[in-house]
Amino acid sequence: MQTAKTMKHYHKELSEAIENKFLRQTLDKFAVAYRANRQLIFADVNAKELIADIAAAKAATIGRYDELYDQFKAEAEKRGVIVHRAADGEEANRIICSIAGANKVKKIIKSKSMTGEEIHINRALEAIGCEVTETDLGEWIIQLRNEGPSHMVMPAIHLSRHQVADTFTGAVGEKQDSDIAKLVKVARRELRSRFAAADMGISGANFAIASSGTVAICTNEGNGRLTTTLPRVHVAICGIDKLVPSLHDAMRVLKVLPRNATSQILTSYVSWMTGATECTLNPDKKKIMHVVFLDNGRSALAKDPVCGPALNCVRCGACANVCPVFRLVGGHKMGHIYIGAIGLILTYFFHGHDKAGNLVQNCINCEACKDVCAAGIDLPAIIREIRARLNEEEGSPMASSLLAKVLANRKLFHTLLRFGKWAQRPVTGGTAFIRHLPEIFMPGGNFRALPAIAPKAFRDQWPGIKRKLSAGSKCRVGIFAGCAQDFVYPEQIRAAVEIFSAKGCTVEFPLEQSCCGLPVLSMGERMAAQSVAAQNVKAFAAGGYDYIVTLCASCASHIKNNYTRILSGQPELAADTARFVERIRDFSSFTRDVLQLGAPDLVKSGETVTYHAPCHLCRGLGVQEQPRALLADAAEYKPSAEEEVCCGFGGAYSVKFPEVSVQLLDMKLNNAEASGASTLVTDCPGCVMQLRGGEEKRGKKLKVEHMAEFLSGKLKK
Amino acid sequence: MTEAEEQILELFKKKAAVVSAKVVEVKDLEEAMSYALDVCEKKDFCELVYVGEGEKGGRYGQATQKMFAAPGLSDRQFGGLEKAGREKGFTVIREGMRGYVSGIDVGFSIADLGIADTGCCVLVSGGEDARLAGMVCEIHVVALAKSKIVNSLDDAENFMNGIMDKGAMFISFISGPSRTADIERVLTIGVHGPLELHVALMES
Repeated sequence: MQTAKTMKHYHKELSEAIENKFLRQTLDKFAVAYRANRQLIFADVNAKELIADIAAAKAATIGRYDELYDQFKAEAEKRGVIVHRAADGEEANRIICSIAGANKVKKIIKSKSMTGEEIHINRALEAIGCEVTETDLGEWIIQLRNEGPSHMVMPAIHLSRHQVADTFTGAVGEKQDSDIAKLVKVARRELRSRFAAADMGISGANFAIASSGTVAICTNEGNGRLTTTLPRVHVAICGIDKLVPSLHDAMRVLKVLPRNATSQILTSYVSWMTGATECTLNPDKKKIMHVVFLDNGRSALAKDPVCGPALNCVRCGACANVCPVFRLVGGHKMGHIYIGAIGLILTYFFHGHDKAGNLVQNCINCEACKDVCAAGIDLPAIIREIRARLNEEEGSPMASSLLAKVLANRKLFHTLLRFGKWAQRPVTGGTAFIRHLPEIFMPGGNFRALPAIAPKAFRDQWPGIKRKLSAGSKCRVGIFAGCAQDFVYPEQIRAAVEIFSAKGCTVEFPLEQSCCGLPVLSMGERMAAQSVAAQNVKAFAAGGYDYIVTLCASCASHIKNNYTRILSGQPELAADTARFVERIRDFSSFTRDVLQLGAPDLVKSGETVTYHAPCHLCRGLGVQEQPRALLADAAEYKPSAEEEVCCGFGGAYSVKFPEVSVQLLDMKLNNAEASGASTLVTDCPGCVMQLRGGEEKRGKKLKVEHMAEFLSGKLKK
Repeated sequence: MTEAEEQILELFKKKAAVVSAKVVEVKDLEEAMSYALDVCEKKDFCELVYVGEGEKGGRYGQATQKMFAAPGLSDRQFGGLEKAGREKGFTVIREGMRGYVSGIDVGFSIADLGIADTGCCVLVSGGEDARLAGMVCEIHVVALAKSKIVNSLDDAENFMNGIMDKGAMFISFISGPSRTADIERVLTIGVHGPLELHVALMES
């Protein structure tokens, strides 16, 4: 459970987690294994199609909770179940405590319920004198240790077998071996008598089916079946977002949920409980069954056009499994109750803005979560939206509001960037890196050398370049530079211009273009993001380009995926925006697919090269094969492990969370160096900045280049 | 058996093996029951039974008597089973499972449906004895008629809707034995439920 009150305290906790060797090893192994297992388990189904179907079905359900609740209640009551609806956690706890009271319940067993965690039901029941025992192995372990879950599916993943043995030793009163099979037996033995003695069983619910009043749960251990069968009272706690119209809707989710959660086709048990079935302990031989639906902000969230899809979540935990930040710091630092990307979001909506303020900053926007989400939720976009709302509610931090103000005026922004090259002189030592930046300007940021601002921005070089270019016949290309290449790495654009001209393109560079707006959007500056987006659309509107190409994966993916939505409030720009978005292309796919650059154009060298796939290219735009094909045609391509994992840049993220960024950078460079290649190529100036800066500090074992630079050097002259 | 049925059967066997279920083929229910009795005979005594009296006064220890539970059989079916079990020295029961929550050796159930592409058995059991027998046993033997195997989850929907629409009922999908990976992500078979699941596929 994340409880840090201040950002400073949060940083301290993050650093402690990063230092936890066991946690690091466990989560590293898990991250790699999860990806491989997920791929295998989805081999026989069309994951994209299923996920799209789930998202569509969920979207159609989101506004219908009231109606579905009424239907569920009517159907369940027909079958002998009592159905409640609680507005918040407090009311849910009150209802459950009164059920316990009315039935003279003393001993309670629980199977896993994140909703139960959300409302702290154990505390409430213990306060009225009940004894509550968690029976999911992981939940029992953390209950004995008085901790919160660190993962939604594997709540005790942060603990070693030795810690579990110590915990069990304390609980059982005799020394326990750390052999895992034996520890599992301890739980089997110790909990069996609790099952037998319990008066009430509390379960969660993966589905609440309105058409039949059915509650369904997925479990592997079998504790769910015992919890719902043995005691005379069964209470199922269920968020109203778990309501689905029909069995068919539940089955659709069931095809993805276990696969995404634990790489299983199905969990060992799926229990479909319709109505009060036999229980011989009660006088009427029927189970006393209650279903308590929890709202706790869900109805309000359902009406939220941007963040509402967060309710599509099926609680598979996959967003944590692939999150590079979770992998480093673990779940206790990545959520209050709910963990991972969805945890950052639900903390804001269910547990309050104060608990979410620090957490929502800790997303690097690599989109790995969005890519695997079982319900197709655009998690990073919702996290950005929450940042914007927090800024609006509480005022922007100085850095982001300043940048927003400057960006709103392109000329001022570009003048300031040009001025930067003079201002940085004392710290560059005349090199291409900022070398002596006192720590005070960027606390913790000295893990990589930051590049200096180029002596002459690309936009200032352009008139000279343009004079030497001849018009090509193949197509008309407008270059969208993005700030990093325009002002820091103009040579990368020059290299691209050389390639485009050689392949017969007419190249243009509209000078009115500005920052794509992603940095300010990530900082939660909505208006600034809109204003630069409009500026860019207008800058390219009149040029009649066949393609608009950018060498920055983040600019490309931001424009492609977000501009239409960002500019939806400006209908006068709709046609130009659509044209802009349609024509924008990243460098590698344009060069490979449109210009057909390949072996005949290149002098293949024996140089060994490996690749870093920028998040916003491989996931944001789904471009995966083209860059690797280009590399293989130009040199000896040696794949690295985990090429598609984030390098740790994340724009402002690397400045906000340097302790995380440096770890991701180290893993990335370790993998790249282990490939045996001498050059590391990537497709985004932000990644170049991070990787080159890291190599500069490590002693330049690898040359780091942008794809355009690398290819221009291999072009047949 | 048509080619399509053959394929479904093969798929079921393949997927059930993936989830660590042991699949055997038998002629009929009688053979399935005698298979289950064999399993019971060959296994060690139940390692987890409560010895002594009362919740506080007792302790766990190894059983000295084999317990076999088969709720949900007809009188005639149960009569034969009970006799055969008794001859092997087992106690064979079909009700009162609450008295044996600490553990029994073998639970025997008849599946209502099999789903090939998930390798799971579908058990419809409103009665608590039927559910408990499959949960508190060390080995769960499920008899499944080959004719009741459908291809996919989708194909199970009509069957389930027919039951859920009618009234109160507990439907279970069971795929393999109970399992956990909650300690260091190490897969461990047999937590709260059975340590083994055997599926006896019946010709008829």
